[in-house]
Amino acid sequence: MEAKLKQELIETFGERLTKAAKMYLDNCSRCGLCIEACHAYASSPETRYTAVGRAQNIRRLYEEYFKKGKIAKKLNEAVELDDHWMEKVYETAYTCTGCRRCMTYCPFGIDTGVIQGIAKMLLITADQEPKTLTMLADMSIAKAKTIEKTKENFAAAAKNLEAEVLQRWRSEGGEEVVPLDVQDANVLYVALAGKHSIIPAAAIMNAAKEKWSLSYFEAVNFGAFVGNPAKTKEIAGRIIEEAKRLNIKEVVICECGTAYRVMKHMSGEKPFKVITFAELIARYVEQGRIKLDKSKLPAKVTYHDPCQIARQGGIYEQPRYVLGQLTDNFVEMTPNRQANWCCGGGGGLVAMGEKDFRMKSAKVKADQVKATGAEVLCTACENCHTQLSDLNEHYGLGVKVEYLSDLTAKALVQD
Amino acid sequence: MSDYAADKVLDLKGLPCPMPVVKMSQEIGSVDVGQIIEVHTTDPGSLSDFPAWAETSGNEVLGSEQGEFIKIFIKRNN
Ligand code: SF4
Ligand code: SF4
Repeated sequence: MEAKLKQELIETFGERLTKAAKMYLDNCSRCGLCIEACHAYASSPETRYTAVGRAQNIRRLYEEYFKKGKIAKKLNEAVELDDHWMEKVYETAYTCTGCRRCMTYCPFGIDTGVIQGIAKMLLITADQEPKTLTMLADMSIAKAKTIEKTKENFAAAAKNLEAEVLQRWRSEGGEEVVPLDVQDANVLYVALAGKHSIIPAAAIMNAAKEKWSLSYFEAVNFGAFVGNPAKTKEIAGRIIEEAKRLNIKEVVICECGTAYRVMKHMSGEKPFKVITFAELIARYVEQGRIKLDKSKLPAKVTYHDPCQIARQGGIYEQPRYVLGQLTDNFVEMTPNRQANWCCGGGGGLVAMGEKDFRMKSAKVKADQVKATGAEVLCTACENCHTQLSDLNEHYGLGVKVEYLSDLTAKALVQD
Repeated sequence: MSDYAADKVLDLKGLPCPMPVVKMSQEIGSVDVGQIIEVHTTDPGSLSDFPAWAETSGNEVLGSEQGEFIKIFIKRNN
C-alpha cells in the first residue's frame, strides 16, 4: 500500500472517531455474548462471522494508530494497515447486514453498525467499496437534476397504474387514483421503482380517503448502504425538499427498512413527521377508515420483523395489529420482535448479489420460518422480501412470501 | 413498431428493487458502443431511474414507450 493512501486512510479513521465510536472500540471485554447472536455465525459457524470478530479487524487498527504505549499495543494485538488487512476491513463491512441483533446482547451495548461505518468509510477512501452500491447512490443523486426532464413520463406511468389500483379499490370518481404534486397533502408516499410498491398502497390510501401525493423519488437510500454520509444526506434531501415544497404533514415510507431508518432517524429535524407504511395501515384500521375481510387470507400466516423497522425503529405491534384483522390463523416465529433473526439480506447484500453468502449465512432464518409451519410469510420490507423469497427457493420452505401492504389491499372491504 | 431498432432486448419486468438498474449496468457491456438495448419493465420508477443512470454512466436514453409494459431504449455510448 502506498504511503500516501495509508495516511489518507488513517485520517479517515480519525475523522470517524466520535465519542461513541471510541467508547465502542475501547470497551469490549471479549465476553463473547454477541457471538451466538449473529445469524451469520449461528448459520456457519465461523468466528470471522461474529460481531466481536468483525469489530476486532477495526479495533486492532485503532490500537495501532490511535492508542499509546508499546506494550499495550502488543497485548491488544495492534496491526499495521496494509493491503491484506484491507481484505479484513472489507469482511467487517460486507459480511455484516447491520441488523444490530448483536448489540442487544452486548452488556456494553456496543454498536456494530458504528464500527461497520468506519470499515465502509475506509473502503470508500481506498476506492475498494462495492461499485454497484456507489453506482446506485450516484444514480439517485443524479436524479435530483434529471427529474425535471423525466417527470412527465413518470406521471404517465403512474396514470397507467389506475386500472390495477381500481381493481383493489373502486374510487368514487373525480379524484386522482395515483395523485402527484398535491399541495398541502397529509401524506407524501415515497415508493420504490416497482409498481408492486405503488398499487396496493394507492388502493389502501384511497380506501381511507386520504389526501395523499406520490413522491417522484424512490425511497431507498444506497448512500446509506455504501456507508457514505454525504451521499446519504443528498439522497434523503431530494425527498425532504419535495415534502417541503408541497407542505406535507407526514412523509410515509413504503415497505423499505433502510429508507425508513434514514428518513426517520438519520436526517435531522424536519418540518413533517415520518412513519412507515405499516403504521399508516394500522392507523386506518384503528380509526375504522378501512375494513378488512378475513376470508381473503385463509392460510396460516407468520411475520418477519424487518430489522430496520423493528429492532431499530421500534415498530413491532402495528404490523401484528393489522395481521390480527387479516387472519385468525397467525403464528409467531421464534424468536421474534427485538430478538428476531435478520433475514440475511441487509446492508446492501441483495443489491450486490452475494447469493451464496446470503443463503449460507441465513440458514437459521430458514429453519426459523420452517418451524412455524406457516404457509404465508409476511413482511414489510422489500429487501427482506427479496431475501426471504431467495431463502424460500433455496431451502424449499414452501411458503408464499407476501407484503403486508398487498395482503391488506387484497382484503379491503368495499360496501 | 418501435422508433428504435434494438440490438438486444432485456426483460426486466417484475424485478424487485434495485435489480432493474443493476442488471442494466451489467448488461450494457454486452453490446457494442453505438448499439441499442431495449429494456422491458413494469416499474414506473424506471422512467426516472434509467435517465439518471445514463447521466452518471455516460450512456443515453433515446426514448421510451408505454403500453402493456414500459419500453426504454438505451444507447451504449462508451
Ligand atoms: S449487526 Fe447483525 S450481521 Fe452484523 S455482526 Fe451484528 S448480528 Fe451479525
Ligand atoms: S458482547 Fe459486547 S463486550 Fe462482549 S465480546 Fe461482544 S462486543 Fe465485546
